[in-house]
Amino acid sequence: MFITARLLANRHPQFIARTVFVQNKNVDDACRLINRILGKEGILERYRLNQYYEKPFKTRRRINHERCKAIYNEDMERKIKFVLRKNRHEPFPGCY
Amino acid sequence: MLSALRNTLRNPILRLFHTTSSQATEKFDHKRIPLDDEGVQGEKIVDLDSVLKSKQNLFPTIESDDMLFDGTPYKNLPICNIRISHNNTILTLTDAAGSVKLIKSCGIEGFKNAKKGTNIAAQTTAISLATKAIDRGFKTVRVKVRGLGPGRLAAVKGLQMGGLDIVSITDNTRVSWNPPRPRKVRRL
Repeated sequence: MFITARLLANRHPQFIARTVFVQNKNVDDACRLINRILGKEGILERYRLNQYYEKPFKTRRRINHERCKAIYNEDMERKIKFVLRKNRHEPFPGCY
Repeated sequence: MLSALRNTLRNPILRLFHTTSSQATEKFDHKRIPLDDEGVQGEKIVDLDSVLKSKQNLFPTIESDDMLFDGTPYKNLPICNIRISHNNTILTLTDAAGSVKLIKSCGIEGFKNAKKGTNIAAQTTAISLATKAIDRGFKTVRVKVRGLGPGRLAAVKGLQMGGLDIVSITDNTRVSWNPPRPRKVRRL
C-alpha cells in the first residue's frame, strides 16, 4: 500500500524500481542480475532503438522479421523436441 | 468424429481389421511413460526465477527505506551517480538530498579522446573517486547507473575496488516507449 502511494506521488520514484541490493559485497552478481532483468524486460533494447530515429519502413521490416523469426523458432523448437525425445515407452521402436 | 474414432480404438471388440500379426507385445500404457525430462541446468544458463527464489532481500520493499546500513537509514545514504556514454564516463558523489560533493570523469582523470570511453579509464576513475570519497568521510553509498557503454560494469567494480561499500545498484537509464523523435541515423 505504501509502495503504491509512493508510486502515485512520484512518477519516477528513485530506489524502488530497477534496484538490486548487493549481497555479501558481491557487486558483480548484482550487476549481472540487474542487467539480465533489464535485458529480459526489453528496456535495453528500447534504449538502443531510440538512439537514432528509425524510419517507418525499417520499423515495418524489423517487426515483420521478428514475427517470422518467432514463428520459425517456435516450429523448430517443436521439431527438435520431437527428434530428441528420449522418454519412449518402447526404447527401440521398430527394432525387433 | 474424432471422439467416435477414439472410442473404436479404445474398444477391443470394435478394433479395426488388420492382417499382420501384432508386433507390440503389450498394450500401450500412457501411465508408464516417464515424466518430461526437466533437463540439467546449464553452466552458463541461469534460470532467473530460481535465482530470485533462492535469494531473499534482493529487491527493495516498503521497509527498505529505513533499513540501517552502517547506522544510516537507506534513504539517507549518499548516492554515487554514474553516467556512461560511449565516449566518456562521469561519476558524481552526492548526498541523499542530491547536492554534488565530488565529481570525476575520465577526461578529468587524464584520459583523452578515444581512451576516455574504455573500461580501463572508467575503472581508474572510479577508484580515484572512491579513495577521494573515503577521505571526505563517505563510506557506504548506493549507486545509480545511467546509460550503456563499456564502462558500465567497470565503474561499479572500480568503486568497490577503491574501498567504498556499495549497498545497492539502481539502473536509471532514460528509456521511453514514445519518445520525441531522435536524431537521424548516422551515415558513415
